[in-house]
Amino acid sequence: MNGVGRRSVIRGSLGLAAAGALARPYIANAAAKTATVWWAQGFVPEEDASFKQMVADYEKASGNKIDYSILPFVALGQKMVSALQTGDTPDVISYDGIQTTLVLNAWNDKLVDVSDVVATQQAHFTSTALLSTKLYNKTENKRAFYAVPYKCASEPFHVWSDLVEKAGYKMSDIPNTWDKRWDFFKPMQAKLRAQGMRNVYAFGLQMTTNGPSDGNNVFHGFLIANGGQGLVTPDGKIHLADPQVKEAVIKTITYITTAYKQHYTPPGAISWNDADDNNGFHSKLFVMDFDGTISTELAMIHRPKDYNACVTMGLPLGNDGKPIPAMVGVIGGFIPKVAKNIVVAKDFMKFVIRPEVNNKYLKAGLGRWVPVFPELTQTDPFWLHSKDPHRAPYIEETLTGPSIPDYLAYTPAYAEVEAQQIWGQSYADVYKNGMTPTAAAENAFKQIEAIFAKYPIA
Amino acid sequence: MDGSSARVIGIGQPIVGRSVVRYTWRAGLQGPELIWALAFLVPYFATFLLFVVYPIAYGLWMGSNPALYTQLFSDPIYQETVVNTLIFVVIGVNLRMLLALGLSGFFMRREWWIKGLLMVFILPWAVPALPTFLSIHWMLNGDWGLLNNLIWDVFHVNGPSWLDQRWLALWSDVIAYVWKWLPFWTVILLAGRMAIPKDLYEAAEIDGATGLGRFAHITWPLLANLYLVSTLLGLLFTLGDFTTVYFVSGGGPANSTQVLATLGIRDAFVMSQPRLGVAAVMSAIPVLIPLVIWLMRRVRAAGVER
Amino acid sequence: MSAALTTARKPNYRLRGLATETGAVLLGIVLVIWSLGPIYPMVMVALDSHDDVFSTHIFPPSPTLHSFWIVVTQGYWYLSSFWHQFANSFYVGFATTALTLLIGSLTSFVIGRMRLHGGWVVSNMALVTYVIPASFVAIPFYRIMQIYGWGNSLWSVIAAYVAFTTPYAIFVLQQYSVSIPIELDESARIDGASPWQVYTRIYLPLMAPALVAVGTFALLLAWNDYLYQFLLLSSKRNMTVAVVLAQFLNSDEAPWNYMMATAIIYSIPPIVAYYAFRRYMTSGLTMGGVKG
Repeated sequence: MNGVGRRSVIRGSLGLAAAGALARPYIANAAAKTATVWWAQGFVPEEDASFKQMVADYEKASGNKIDYSILPFVALGQKMVSALQTGDTPDVISYDGIQTTLVLNAWNDKLVDVSDVVATQQAHFTSTALLSTKLYNKTENKRAFYAVPYKCASEPFHVWSDLVEKAGYKMSDIPNTWDKRWDFFKPMQAKLRAQGMRNVYAFGLQMTTNGPSDGNNVFHGFLIANGGQGLVTPDGKIHLADPQVKEAVIKTITYITTAYKQHYTPPGAISWNDADDNNGFHSKLFVMDFDGTISTELAMIHRPKDYNACVTMGLPLGNDGKPIPAMVGVIGGFIPKVAKNIVVAKDFMKFVIRPEVNNKYLKAGLGRWVPVFPELTQTDPFWLHSKDPHRAPYIEETLTGPSIPDYLAYTPAYAEVEAQQIWGQSYADVYKNGMTPTAAAENAFKQIEAIFAKYPIA
Repeated sequence: MDGSSARVIGIGQPIVGRSVVRYTWRAGLQGPELIWALAFLVPYFATFLLFVVYPIAYGLWMGSNPALYTQLFSDPIYQETVVNTLIFVVIGVNLRMLLALGLSGFFMRREWWIKGLLMVFILPWAVPALPTFLSIHWMLNGDWGLLNNLIWDVFHVNGPSWLDQRWLALWSDVIAYVWKWLPFWTVILLAGRMAIPKDLYEAAEIDGATGLGRFAHITWPLLANLYLVSTLLGLLFTLGDFTTVYFVSGGGPANSTQVLATLGIRDAFVMSQPRLGVAAVMSAIPVLIPLVIWLMRRVRAAGVER
Repeated sequence: MSAALTTARKPNYRLRGLATETGAVLLGIVLVIWSLGPIYPMVMVALDSHDDVFSTHIFPPSPTLHSFWIVVTQGYWYLSSFWHQFANSFYVGFATTALTLLIGSLTSFVIGRMRLHGGWVVSNMALVTYVIPASFVAIPFYRIMQIYGWGNSLWSVIAAYVAFTTPYAIFVLQQYSVSIPIELDESARIDGASPWQVYTRIYLPLMAPALVAVGTFALLLAWNDYLYQFLLLSSKRNMTVAVVLAQFLNSDEAPWNYMMATAIIYSIPPIVAYYAFRRYMTSGLTMGGVKG
């Protein structure tokens, strides 16, 4: 009994050793074929399911393996910064929030040039998507693609049509130039309050310095409508001396702080976080706001009454009556230089930006994220010709209309301007410190110049 | 090994000459006993080296570039943050300790409902921080928050928007912090009061001491050291507190209520400059070191008094 | 003081007694409102059928337990592994508590009972750990966990908490042990007991109140923190409930009623732990700061 036992043990361990010897090259091989990916969690469960499907499709098509983690974007943002700082990263990262980390790491030469990946679909991208991901590298002293763009978003107007009508106005009367559109809502405040809505405001003007991007987005909306689009040019230069830019900045600060002082926006708007503005909109605290994506509407998709009472509107004309571009935030996947499997990482991203793959993936998000391929709106009626009332105006603004990238793509200096909330601080200079808008603008310019001095672009 | 004298030296002796230490060590623990003692210390040393010393050394290295501090000190938000941190920590901790001192006396009462009340009182400590601070953030919303709704229902006036002015927002942070941690420190001081022998009070009663007199002559002298050590510990804990400000005021409006811990996180993760974030927190070290030395002295002094 | 004087002041005492009694009840009411103030809205939101947080009523018009049902049946996608993640929270909490108690009691035993000279160096080392705000070490800690191969492991979180709680444990236990007569150890040792036997048979049983108090402290710390769990854990299987709660803040829009229901369920274990051990809490936390 004993002998048999021992013999079988020996045989067993021999077998294990043999298996180990055989398995080792296989494991090495598997490692060579595996890429680790950190992806931002979707807004609806379908988005995550769709990502998993995309991964499964890729694994089947390529024989490679994708080892992914789907992370809430706040957690992902922190992990990504820690990982890049400490040099222990996954092979691909895609982050949904503000792209500060991407541009700073491209600047510091910590990312892989993915121009060859982008090249596979170069002709199909919007120019904004390409501009947004062609980033400056300080070490190489040139621009290259450091992210593979695959989705984007912008800010439409969100209006409670039932409140507009309750106040005695018609939706069809909403003006089609920028300031006039905002002004149109002001008198509704008194009319609605007279009907017992004690707390209602005309609009939710996001002057916050708390949300990562809401405050900056609203500033840029006004800036562009006031003709200040040339604040930062694609060469990464800032143009504070340009009288047209300066005038636009002052006009913007003036309009926003005046509306605040006249109480047309909830006082809390100066410290709203990401969720507060949506909470406010859903509680009908204000009639209208200008806020990123159509998530506000999609959150009510199971409440048809509210879903239909809310109206999504694209951009009006600028104050000079000319069409204005939307500032579009583009999201891409990027590959750190320290990644262990750059080959598979690149191959995976090539798959992600195949238009048909991308279309299938993004449709699951119900249009909260917009594709970066305009041709998809022609091949698939989902984007512009569906029954959904909110999607088409949003897609038109973001994808088929004129657009520009977020300025931070032109220079990491502007990423720091946004992260420091310089514009939000300039409003505070007016409403809190009693400066004139001109003085507040000058103060902001001084800080911006100091920041730009740290990031020289030849 | 002789008990009584060694006990005093154990933690009592502030600074002992090196040779004396070596001598008493040899005389104190010998052979297998010394081995036992060292073996018992292995887990702690392992934890300390692996999870305290190494990360701290790494952190110091990250924050070692002087240029980071030039950048930091030139940031106007940083200057405001230092003031906020001082207010948040000093007022927050002292307010909390004073309240805890008073309430611990209150909870010594013998009414039947006191025990039940203590159970309710302890809830803020037991409920996880994140949702309660979020709840406080909502309560304080100027437009639809519960607090202003109540003010409206009772007085028919609009309450202030609590989180939209620097000082109101900072006070909100302080109060939220006191709310969360008051129960813990009240229980500590309550325990301290319970440890005071009853016969001391009985003797005092015979001498005619009541109320304040009892407190001044018996309770406070016996509780003072515990109170001071708790305060010092509280100062250190509070300096590292990130959750309160992050969720209650979010550091707003216009970054006017940041404290060092939240500024560090903002610099590291929002500005994507982790080294700057580490530098922001490390700039507190000149304040921390004296605090720790003071704390160590108090703790050792407690050992001697015994 | 003469007897005559004392009797003369008696009625005054009674009146004052009534006044303080009323004052005590009033203060009690204030304390209940103070303590429940922020918790009340959590319960209200959780009971609301709507996911709004801003209804202007003080009580939801049609309260329902639906949100709690959603949480316990894992009926929302953020909560699809709720019970598994709840178990993870327990795992982290208990492992932190057990290790804190083990390391804390061994170390305090050596310093306080075996009287290892130079022991004060150890207790000062422990105190120094307090200096380091958690947010300072978060990034380095992340890196070091990767080096140890503990990335996305519950053990990385446990290690962080144990590192932060042991100093407090050593401190409290060492102070508490002063109240136990050292002669007990001495007579046991004269009878030939090894330090290990003294530790297990005398020290641990007599230290029980302080151990329970420190253990509860460690459990609550592990239960309350979110920064480390957030940073160190990433996969759904390894997440804890604290991370799940933070996940609701992920989007600009969330079903707050589910979040608050989750938070309330998550609050139950520490509350139970506290109430179960409250007797020890008050006797175990004296920290020896009081002479006697």
